[in-house]
Amino acid sequence: MASKPMFNIKRKVPVSLLGLILFNVVLFVGLSFLSPTFLTIRNIQSLMLRMSELSMLTLAQTLVMIGGGMDLTVGSVMALSGAIAGMLFRAGFNPATVLVCALLGGALVGFLNSFLVVHLKIQSFIATVATNTIIRSVVYLLLKGRVLSAFPKSYVSLGSSYVLGFPILFLAVIAIAVALHLLLRRTALGRSIYAAGANEQCAHISGIHVNYVKYFIFTMSGILSAIGGIMYTMRIGAIIPDAGLNSPLEVVTAVLIGGASVRGGKGSVLGSLLGILAMYVLLNGFSLLGLSSFWEVIMLGVVLIAIVGQGNKKQIVKMSRFSRRKAL
Amino acid sequence: MVEIPILVKKMIVVQNVSKQFPGVRALDEVSFNVKKGHVHGLVGENGAGKSTIVKILSGIYSDYDGEVLIDGKQIEFHSVRDARESGIATIFQELSVVKDLNIAENIFLGREPIKFAGVVDCSYMYRRCREVMDFLDEPMDVEGKVGNLSVASQQIVEICKSLVLNPKVIIMDEPTSSLTEKEVLQLYKIVDQLKERGVTILYVSHKLTEIFRICDDITVLRDGKHIGTVQTQDTDTNQIIQMMVGRTLKMLFPERSVKPSNEILMSVRNATRTGEFEDVSFDLHKGEILGFAGLIGAGRTELAKALFGATKLEQGNVSIAGEEFGHFSHPREAFDKGLSYLPEDRKGEGLLLQSSIKENMTLAILKRLHLFRWHSERRERELVDKYADDLQVKMVGIDQIVEMLSGGNQQKIIVARLLMTDTEVFIFDEPTRGIDVGAKYEIYKIMNELTEQGKGILFISSELPEVMGISDRIACMREGRLVKEFTHDDVGPEAIMRVLAGGDA
Amino acid sequence: MIPKRKLRNILQIREIPLLIFVLILSAFFAFTIEGFMTLKNFEVISRQITTVGIVSIGMTLVLVTGGIDLSVGAMLSFAINIGGLLIIRGIPIYAAYPFILLLGAILGAINGLLIVWVKVPAIIVTLGTMNIFRGAIMVITKGKYITSIPQSYSWIGTGYTPFILFVVLLICFEFALRKMQFGRNIIAIGSNEQSAIYSGVPVNKFKVIVYILSGTLSALAGIIFIGRSGFIQPQAGIGYEMSSIAAVVIGGTSIYGGSGTVIGTFLGSLLMGLILAGITMLAVNAYWQGVINGLLIILAISFDTIRQMRRR
Repeated sequence: MASKPMFNIKRKVPVSLLGLILFNVVLFVGLSFLSPTFLTIRNIQSLMLRMSELSMLTLAQTLVMIGGGMDLTVGSVMALSGAIAGMLFRAGFNPATVLVCALLGGALVGFLNSFLVVHLKIQSFIATVATNTIIRSVVYLLLKGRVLSAFPKSYVSLGSSYVLGFPILFLAVIAIAVALHLLLRRTALGRSIYAAGANEQCAHISGIHVNYVKYFIFTMSGILSAIGGIMYTMRIGAIIPDAGLNSPLEVVTAVLIGGASVRGGKGSVLGSLLGILAMYVLLNGFSLLGLSSFWEVIMLGVVLIAIVGQGNKKQIVKMSRFSRRKAL
Repeated sequence: MVEIPILVKKMIVVQNVSKQFPGVRALDEVSFNVKKGHVHGLVGENGAGKSTIVKILSGIYSDYDGEVLIDGKQIEFHSVRDARESGIATIFQELSVVKDLNIAENIFLGREPIKFAGVVDCSYMYRRCREVMDFLDEPMDVEGKVGNLSVASQQIVEICKSLVLNPKVIIMDEPTSSLTEKEVLQLYKIVDQLKERGVTILYVSHKLTEIFRICDDITVLRDGKHIGTVQTQDTDTNQIIQMMVGRTLKMLFPERSVKPSNEILMSVRNATRTGEFEDVSFDLHKGEILGFAGLIGAGRTELAKALFGATKLEQGNVSIAGEEFGHFSHPREAFDKGLSYLPEDRKGEGLLLQSSIKENMTLAILKRLHLFRWHSERRERELVDKYADDLQVKMVGIDQIVEMLSGGNQQKIIVARLLMTDTEVFIFDEPTRGIDVGAKYEIYKIMNELTEQGKGILFISSELPEVMGISDRIACMREGRLVKEFTHDDVGPEAIMRVLAGGDA
Repeated sequence: MIPKRKLRNILQIREIPLLIFVLILSAFFAFTIEGFMTLKNFEVISRQITTVGIVSIGMTLVLVTGGIDLSVGAMLSFAINIGGLLIIRGIPIYAAYPFILLLGAILGAINGLLIVWVKVPAIIVTLGTMNIFRGAIMVITKGKYITSIPQSYSWIGTGYTPFILFVVLLICFEFALRKMQFGRNIIAIGSNEQSAIYSGVPVNKFKVIVYILSGTLSALAGIIFIGRSGFIQPQAGIGYEMSSIAAVVIGGTSIYGGSGTVIGTFLGSLLMGLILAGITMLAVNAYWQGVINGLLIILAISFDTIRQMRRR
């Protein structure tokens, strides 16, 4: 009756993720054969670099969706923190102040979202539709609708530095991802987030402070998105008012592909990162192969519906198989 | 009641019907007949398969083995609509009114009279509703919103809903579960009227008084099997109970091993929450099981939740082991101060259905596990293994998803969660609902063992026999008030029932 | 007795506060802005709100059933871009219009069938199909604008024509929602789906119909879009999903499903249009519009939530 060590691997890497890993591997191998430029250090490095800020948004969304919500402000918060950073740099503040303020901006938006969700009891999807509109306008107002590129050289050069061949930004993403993974899997708070997302009532009755959990996930999502904004400005050296306009939905797609559920309580950091990786590799591959990048968008849609639909089907099959065994 | 058998036609014939659910065989080769124009009682304990029969007859389940004949014709329903066209109307156990529609629209939902091109013929609809209500002698404002109605009036709407199409068969699934005694009498009257008009009624209930009052025949189900069909005049309550339970009442409950001590463990004073319960005071002793009897809606679950801090206790004091707490602001505080609660709604509030046994069990003690420490994972597994062993949870391993477990095993997992918090007082809210007889016995045994350790248990149950079988004292609640306390030995079920339903207090 | 009830019903209509708000706002703009209360300005506003407004009618129906449709903008764009390819090849106007509408209906049907059959939540299905439709447009048109639209297509986008069309649709769908079996049943589905099933409402059929209507209305909005702008761009309809959800929610339709009115949606779109016009004419930075719309959504839903809580 005690579980055997054999089970452990299965427990650590769920079967659903194996499919996603396999998909990524096939993609890599296939593209290496199809395109001579794909498996070059330059291409891989630039892929890692381009992924960095969207990976941060993906992590933010993962946290919120596991907790049973959805945060559509990730893109506008990214732009907001970039805009704040740019304006403060232009005004001559030192980098430390700038970074703190940019992060605070993100945290504040996240806190506002959690307030709407917890106290006004607005569904997070709709609440963040509203705040997203507001924040995006604020970004336009701050930037007066123009591109701002007043970033110091030393700051921007961080975006193109490498350690052992890896872009610094990519390493930062990995470090934050590991921290988030540990938080979700190894701490009481992490468990509480999963529980609150899966069944809010049950979590409440079991003594979990569900409201605190919601405050945490949304505020944290704001901070992570703000970090994304900082990475964006480091990488590009400028902030565009439209930065991250479509990213909320892209990111939700990545997280869902990574095994999360719109009903909450499911998902993982690893899965989400694999999801966003697949999206970027596809995009990269299509452009290397000279195909319209929009095939990628189509594929995403199909994969999204297929994966979620498949998940539902599997559930049904599993249940009927179980009952048959029991009947015999 | 002299009848010539040849003239009595069979309205419903159920032949060898079986229905399989994941993990449960809800019906197993069930066969019985319902005679035309009779009121036929269908009884059995929770989980006996009554509701499954109802859902098959009303077209909600279309995949089952065996056959069903209505008025001599074999049926093959794929939807409620099919059933209705064959003349079957069902009043479901869960009230299914739509709050955003008005009364008439509810009554005609899904069968609106059409004037032309999909436009609803409102005047006909209202007229017909008034007719039906006149027949029932229950006038209502047919254009009023259903959301504002009392539960009893909503029940009347449900009955009207089944009547407007002049059905041949009406199935009533636990129709009195939310009615007061006066309203129940009214329902009897309606049933008699329907019977006069030659309507066949399948009356599903587990309340035997009702069954004996209005039914001509009684069919008993137990654990998905057909136990027998008898005429009401040839039988008595004891025989039916024996058929329902399958053994005599005594064996159902383990012998209580300890007498409660005189030491007060928990006391509640003047607990009030507007609209739910009022001025409730009681004491719970060490090693005592205090049963809370009452009808649905008497305010027992609401009281328990407020005591536990899941909702706000507006007025009143809770003290545990001599310490005054006022009220608990959050379940977390209640756990920490020595009170735990097993929720009534197992699937909705009790479990993370998609998560593992392990994750479900340790949910209330996450902080104590310090999951961040190196060996905590192992410690957690050891702990869960131990409790699963102690409670004899039948499972593949502690990583199994709880959704796949039987009701009894699921309940044990929640019990284990409470045990891990190591509180002094436990509130068990309908702990045996929907689980099989064997598992019930095990739950009783666990409660018994807890009292041996000097813990106190508040035991809320709507099944009178079990409240009487296991409690030391019985507190009766009616309409949000604690009306009377009995000790274990000095009353019979009839006396308690009279108090609960509002006879003498 | 009856007139009394009628009176009470009128007072209870929840569009009344919104209507009053719209009136006060118009009055405010009329006094503060010169030339606001002119026929010309009204024509401009009415035209502005029409496209999103028509999309919002479909969105209202979808939200009433408790669903959501994020693909409206993509369906609009897909229908007119594919239709546009035929238009520049000289297909007659009386064939082009039905073709575009049919395309919208088919796209909507895809959404509806996926939701009903594969049992994927509406938000995911329409998020997915939004990507698919948008991607398909870009692949097919290669991102090019279609500019040589014949003059004959512009009638539907000029003068009061689009607004009249909008109002006619409003009346039809308000009637359908209030007086027809269709309307009463979709309200039941959104309010209590289980109960609708138990009452024999063909839930799946109505769900699919609602998404088909959403697609068709989006395509219709696209036709007006062609008429107004005289060209077709692949990015047409971007952001319509959010604007239309905003209009519907401000109009008092519950995001929990089960209640909503098309008239409310009209007032919601009107309010958003008024604000946009007012801001533009006051020469206030137009970016404030987003802030105001966002606040309006939050305000509207807070009302809705409070009402829901009071009812429980």
